[in-house]
Amino acid sequence: MKYELVAGFETHVELQTNTKIFCSCTTKFGGDPNTHCCPVCIGLPGTLPKLNERVVEYAIMAGLATNCEIAEIAKMDRKNYCYPDLPKAYQISQYDKPLCEHGYIQLSNGRRIRILRIHIEEDAGKLIHNHGDTYVDYNRGGVPLIEIVTEPDFRSIDEAKEYVEKLQQIMRYIGVSDCRMQEGSMRCDVNISVRPEGSDKLGTRTEIKNMNSITNIAKAMEYEFERQTELIESGGEVVQETLRYDDATGTTSSMRSKEDAHDYRYFREPDLVTIAVPRDRVKEIQARLPELPEQKFARYTEEYGIPEKDAAQLTKYRSISEYFDKASEGLKSPKTASNFIIGQIFRRLVTEADKESFDIKTTAEQLNELCKLLESGKLKNNLAKTALDKMLDSGKPVTDFVSESDMAGLDDATLTEYCQNAIAAMPAAVADYKSGKEKALMAVLGNVMKQSRGRADAASVTAKLKELIG
Amino acid sequence: MVTREDIENIALLSKLFVDEKDLDSLTEEMQKIVAFADTINNVEVSTGEFDNINNLSNVFRADEVGESLPVEEILKNAPEQAEDHFLVRKRA
Repeated sequence: MKYELVAGFETHVELQTNTKIFCSCTTKFGGDPNTHCCPVCIGLPGTLPKLNERVVEYAIMAGLATNCEIAEIAKMDRKNYCYPDLPKAYQISQYDKPLCEHGYIQLSNGRRIRILRIHIEEDAGKLIHNHGDTYVDYNRGGVPLIEIVTEPDFRSIDEAKEYVEKLQQIMRYIGVSDCRMQEGSMRCDVNISVRPEGSDKLGTRTEIKNMNSITNIAKAMEYEFERQTELIESGGEVVQETLRYDDATGTTSSMRSKEDAHDYRYFREPDLVTIAVPRDRVKEIQARLPELPEQKFARYTEEYGIPEKDAAQLTKYRSISEYFDKASEGLKSPKTASNFIIGQIFRRLVTEADKESFDIKTTAEQLNELCKLLESGKLKNNLAKTALDKMLDSGKPVTDFVSESDMAGLDDATLTEYCQNAIAAMPAAVADYKSGKEKALMAVLGNVMKQSRGRADAASVTAKLKELIG
Repeated sequence: MVTREDIENIALLSKLFVDEKDLDSLTEEMQKIVAFADTINNVEVSTGEFDNINNLSNVFRADEVGESLPVEEILKNAPEQAEDHFLVRKRA
């Protein structure tokens, strides 16, 4: 029998606010242990939380960017569990009135991954386990998170990978999170089950917790899919449990013992009042959202005729797409700018981090100037390429490397002179051409180009050579 | 109705040790507390949605960084500490 994978995601995204969700301690990553803490975020008795307004705003932005409905009334709840990463023994989260619900993310295969809800909550502290003892650092405790929960809509690992990449891209575009999985500012839990292909019943699911790279998510899902399929085929039953993925062995293992019953005893957080979101506030936030990657992609491919593969690269990071938008302003063909970016500029940006920060010396305005000279025919392609390399090295404008005479092109007398020189210098090639070897003319053309330092136009040189050789 | 099992379960979740001999009296006390909540539930409410006594919503704080406490202050009441961390010992 063939089995089908069914999966859903719960993704925690750390919000890039200046301060924690309920107190004014900084959210900066790192720092000496327990130095970003105050009585509120270490849960001392008698303290009161006060909600950071920007957390609500960022969560609404995230909801709008993923096609969610924004709640008119939301509230906070306590989720109770005893573990040293939570100083209060409860996490302030949202239970039955989350800020955002019923959204979706569109995948490239046409399927939609439905988003059940997005809610806000506080992050827990960091635990360092050492010989059975636990060292607790509460710097991360109280850092604002959004949790994005999908329906069990994934049917393949490729869909899961694309979803995580898209989510990362969207959150970075709207500027609510840097989504660095290796630093833990984005973490994924995957619910996974299998069922016979064609069945519409859900199988028993397991949950793989806290994965910190797309590669690991894919590997863990693959392992878990195989494990569950084999278990069912051999007559066994999948047990609902929480699993941890071990990167070193490539396997999953049970995380919680059964005695640790799940019972969070949620109840209303009495220290925080209702969050009301008037509709004009939603409209105002919507109006401030930047153009999303999907919309940019559509504009580049449909309006500009840029190939999909190139458009995907241009839209991957907001920094690149914004640079491209400026560099292509007013061009007859924005592709001119796109080709320079994806070719010559990308060659200098080796890693993904380099591409994301897009730290290059040439400004978008300078590239725009170069493109315009090229489009007007004043600058030949090869000269433009050489100039761009020099521009990228120095940060200076194109006019520093290309003179007026370069741009003026060659007058007929000079062109004739260069061609005559070349013919005289390369009698063998000329003889070959005369005997019917068309290609031999390329060598002569090269000689002319060299004399003109790239200013000559290949078509007019070829015509002139043919005329002179006869 | 609160049962002995409920008390045992709550104790387990709260990681509290409850002596077998206290279970009956605790069950009775908890029953009284829950009954009190029932009394509140039975009050007739005609004003519709009620949220809080001051009718407040949207009490927010601006996203501006303030002072955190020095690590010595943070760890002052910690039962145990090591290397500027709260220390939780392995339980036997």
